[in-house]
Amino acid sequence: MPKHITLLIGALGGDGGGVLCDWIVSAAQSRGLGVQATQIPGVAQRTGATTYYVEVMPVGAAPSSVLALNPAIGEVDVALATELLEAGRMIFNGFVTPDRTTLIASTHRVLAIGERMAMGDGSFDVGRLLRAVKERSREQILFDMDQAAEESGGVLNAVLLGALAGSGRVPIPDSAFEAAIRHAGKSVDTNLAAFAFGRGHARGELDQAVREHRKRQTAVQGAEDLIERARRAYPAASLDVVEEGIRRLTAYQDRRYAALYLDRLDTIQALGSAELLREVARHLAVRMSFEDVIRVALAKTAADRMARVRAEVRAKEQEPLEITEHFKPGIEEIAAVLPPPLARRLLAWGQRTGRLGKTYFSMHVRTTTILGFARLRLVAGLRWWRPRTSRYVEEQAEIERWLGQIRDAAPLGLDLAREITESARLIKGYGDTHKRGLGNYRRIADEVIAPALAGRMTPRAAADAVANARVAALADPEGQSLSTTLAAIATATPPLRQAAE
Amino acid sequence: MLDQPAAQLPVSQRTNPERSFTEEVRALRLGDGELFRGEGILAVTKAILQSGVAYVGGYQGAPVSHLVDVLVESQDLLDELGVHLETCTNESSAAALLGASINYPMRGCVTWKSIVGTNVAADALSNLASPGVIGGALIVVGEDYGEGASVIQERTQAYALKSSVWLMDPRPSLPTIVRCTEKAFELSEATNTPVMMELRIRACHVTGEFVAKDNVPPAISRNHRLAEPAAHNYDRISHPPSTYAHEKIKVEVRQPAAERFIVEHGLNEHLPGERSDLGIIVQGGITNVLVRGLDRLEVGGRIPTLVLNVTHPLAPDQIADFCRGKRAVLVVEEGAPDYIEQAVHVLLRKRDIDTKIYGKDVLPMAGEYTAEVVTEGLLKFFAQSANDIDLSGPRERFEAARAGRAEAQRLLGGPLPLRPPGFCVGCPERPVFSAIKLLEREVGKVHISSDIGCHSFATLAPFNLGNSILGFGMSLAAAGAVAPVMQKRTISVMGDGGFWHNGLLSGVASSMFNRGDRVLVIMQNGYTSATGAQFIPNTSGNRRDGQTTSDIAATLKAMGVGWLRTIRTYNVGTMLKTLREAMSTEHKGLKVIVADGECQLARQRRIRPQIAAQLKRGERVVRTRYGVDDEVCTGDHSCIRLSGCPSLVVKPNPDPLRSDPVASVNNGCVGCGLCGEVADAAVLCPSFYRADIVQNATWWDRLKWKVRSKVIGAMAGA
Repeated sequence: MPKHITLLIGALGGDGGGVLCDWIVSAAQSRGLGVQATQIPGVAQRTGATTYYVEVMPVGAAPSSVLALNPAIGEVDVALATELLEAGRMIFNGFVTPDRTTLIASTHRVLAIGERMAMGDGSFDVGRLLRAVKERSREQILFDMDQAAEESGGVLNAVLLGALAGSGRVPIPDSAFEAAIRHAGKSVDTNLAAFAFGRGHARGELDQAVREHRKRQTAVQGAEDLIERARRAYPAASLDVVEEGIRRLTAYQDRRYAALYLDRLDTIQALGSAELLREVARHLAVRMSFEDVIRVALAKTAADRMARVRAEVRAKEQEPLEITEHFKPGIEEIAAVLPPPLARRLLAWGQRTGRLGKTYFSMHVRTTTILGFARLRLVAGLRWWRPRTSRYVEEQAEIERWLGQIRDAAPLGLDLAREITESARLIKGYGDTHKRGLGNYRRIADEVIAPALAGRMTPRAAADAVANARVAALADPEGQSLSTTLAAIATATPPLRQAAE
Repeated sequence: MLDQPAAQLPVSQRTNPERSFTEEVRALRLGDGELFRGEGILAVTKAILQSGVAYVGGYQGAPVSHLVDVLVESQDLLDELGVHLETCTNESSAAALLGASINYPMRGCVTWKSIVGTNVAADALSNLASPGVIGGALIVVGEDYGEGASVIQERTQAYALKSSVWLMDPRPSLPTIVRCTEKAFELSEATNTPVMMELRIRACHVTGEFVAKDNVPPAISRNHRLAEPAAHNYDRISHPPSTYAHEKIKVEVRQPAAERFIVEHGLNEHLPGERSDLGIIVQGGITNVLVRGLDRLEVGGRIPTLVLNVTHPLAPDQIADFCRGKRAVLVVEEGAPDYIEQAVHVLLRKRDIDTKIYGKDVLPMAGEYTAEVVTEGLLKFFAQSANDIDLSGPRERFEAARAGRAEAQRLLGGPLPLRPPGFCVGCPERPVFSAIKLLEREVGKVHISSDIGCHSFATLAPFNLGNSILGFGMSLAAAGAVAPVMQKRTISVMGDGGFWHNGLLSGVASSMFNRGDRVLVIMQNGYTSATGAQFIPNTSGNRRDGQTTSDIAATLKAMGVGWLRTIRTYNVGTMLKTLREAMSTEHKGLKVIVADGECQLARQRRIRPQIAAQLKRGERVVRTRYGVDDEVCTGDHSCIRLSGCPSLVVKPNPDPLRSDPVASVNNGCVGCGLCGEVADAAVLCPSFYRADIVQNATWWDRLKWKVRSKVIGAMAGA
């Protein structure tokens, strides 16, 4: 008896896996093939994972033969996935096997909530997924079907159907699949287009322009001589970062500020590690261009922004666009742009009256109106004032403290210096987020870095400790894992007295 | 934005026109000899019409929702046939509906999701089973068990046993399912007993074909009404002393009759095989897994198999005859307890048949019987009972597949990130939980009593809110003994579906009656959305005249609820303020917040075609969506932790000096505005912007736009 062909489909709610299933079934039926499909719809349209299982009897099979409702490990001929992690899931569950399974999957990622809600980069290692895909399946048809769908103007499930047709693994001609799409009668033309795209990719007739995520360099004039200075002084390996740093800080503040950046870097350069220099250059530029209202206003009124927004929200050529910004400055934000003495007074008053952290001014500014734009432009124009603001003064002090720690650490061990450098990652964001990040950094500085610099840990142990603390700080916003980690480090660290002996 | 009433439809006018079953409805009209193609549950729906059913009812729930859903859309057909359709407000009203068949020779069919639905129906079910029926009564239960199930893992079999209701578990192939459905009515009438038919998730969705028959108009129906009610007959009332008689009749008359019927009509199937010394007894629903398992072990078609399409009652002689003379018989019975296996043991013992019975000793007591589980069980069974069969080849392949999986898992370094179900893009319930999270920042953790419905997704990431779920509409009742011992008030969350299903009486009435000092949040989205957006009393749910039946706020007022607020959910700030007030007000007793916002899924279904039409007509349409300035976002993702909207994603950081991915709003955005609201309410960051794109702009729009662009461009250049 000729063997049935088994297909397993992994999709996300809303990917149209059910429709894909129907297309396959009706195409098979139209060829007089015995076919059976069933599904675990999950919670459709609600982001959950859904699976569909199809068995197709080959020509001449007994109509009475029993078809299974469950996929079996090692017995799947074709596995289709609308997304890369779902392909990984089918592999993880043992359904995709090197001796039998053709894996047809989209390479794009739709991050699961757990990956998205991480405080840093929580996404699952794509390299691992691709390696498993390559090693654990007999053959693969892989391309970004999300992009293909977009290019074809259709939807992903039709692209996937096309890829299945193109794979030639089912005894169903293209015409039958196309007929199935027509029979279903919903947005036939775009689906047929998407189908053709998928088939083309599967047959290698089309190749895909890889969607690149371009890094945006800052455009600025008048920093050429500083860039020259960097080129003369620093190893080539660090220049891409340093030059961007110079450009950014010139745009953020002015040439003098960018020069200060280089002066600071010179002290790191003296430590003699190109790698360290590069990392410090990266973080230093980010720290020196800290997020204050002036920077935000500058970004929101940048010349190239409108074009970027129009593209992102897919506004067509002739379509007018209204943009409304959400701002909500509080007492702290106002204090940040005042000179230190005034800021202290304002904050003290906020404390007294209990308004601090309670009173905010919710502003919805429309940057597409002349007045709205002008208001932000005005704020952006306050750059000249920035060096007098309390926030500026604080940030510079923090930065100097951090650089000092790096300089002190370097002689003890470059690893430690590098880890201290990297810990600058923790300081980012606005309002509470920034407060939390800075707080975490300070805790690590006091409870790990200081003892380390005091020689109460071996440099290696210290480096690990800082790294662990940093990871812990990014684990949860409540800071529980940081506390436990710091406690563990403390117990491992000998108290001062012994160290002195 | 959606917190502006204009963009929202008042709850009383919410209908959900787009969801349509045109294809399915057509299939229900097929006549003699025509080929039916479709899913299992639709085949059942066709089969009950072919059986001359006079009334149908049910309460929605996966995997059987479609039975009623499709009939709702088939009103014309039902009117022609005279079939009455009752969209019940819970399972016990559906079970009570079958009471019609106690006194009148009418066939009736109701449906619900089991085990939970059967629990709710239990009281009516007992009172139905005791007097019994004279018209065929069929209950189609979705056995929501195993992968994809959303309820407690228990067996419907228990109810069949204790109420003496017959239980069918048909082999998942359409012709068998259809035959069982038709026979179920005959069995019911031949034994005066209601019959349950359980269909597992995969069986409900399995595709296939069968040759249709004409639909049969019922003799007694809406179209052929009775002049007189049935004569008073105390035997048909489940009240003593009748109940004592009923108990005896069940075991002395009805069950033997059923056992005879099962054998005479060949309801159970016998699959022959040359190994007369061995045998397998399997639940109909598990047959396909078993058969494929036997093929896998290369003994397909060699082992005699008794397929139980009826799992209660068993036909003792049939089973005895099957086992007699066999060395070993395997009982393949999914789930716990092992009712069938125990019964087989007893009936063989009583007949002194010494066939060795295998079952839960080689197969697991609990859990779904997947291909892998059954294969492993079969390997053990044959190893112990028939070592003359050489299984080395298959066993190697099986072990190789498992080793391969282990290797794959090592490669992936798993476990992989989970994909828990979450709220849809723009869901009106999400903002409520964002507000509760913000509330907890102020007052600390609160005991949250969760319920069944979309809102139970809040118990998962990113919200992780909720301490217990006690069943549909039970969240308020479940806080009854928690609230009195808490310093802070408890919050119970309930959907409007749950409110009408059970919450109104079990929750609100009981809490009022006991002067409970609790907070209740009712999600008024207008449908039972989790089951496919069915109508409920507070929507224009009466599918006949489109008039709203009942209003939640009015109902609560009438019940004497003193503290009542109706809030549009999308305004997180207002929602937060209201929650704060509810938690702190001097008002003792029940405090109810009706969180109003139409199910976004239904809303999109309604407005998409409308908007498409407007655009076609060249009318001015403003499309609103949100975005994130990737230059301003620093990649902390607090916004995602406070919302979890599927369209709020992350993308690689465009900044050459930064590595953390930044937030981004994808094109799934429906412009509900929550991300902006949360950024505002939680004072997150200024990254979010709202974009209003004017489609089919007027000359005035264009002029404004031109002028502004010029000036702004000049300023930006400066």
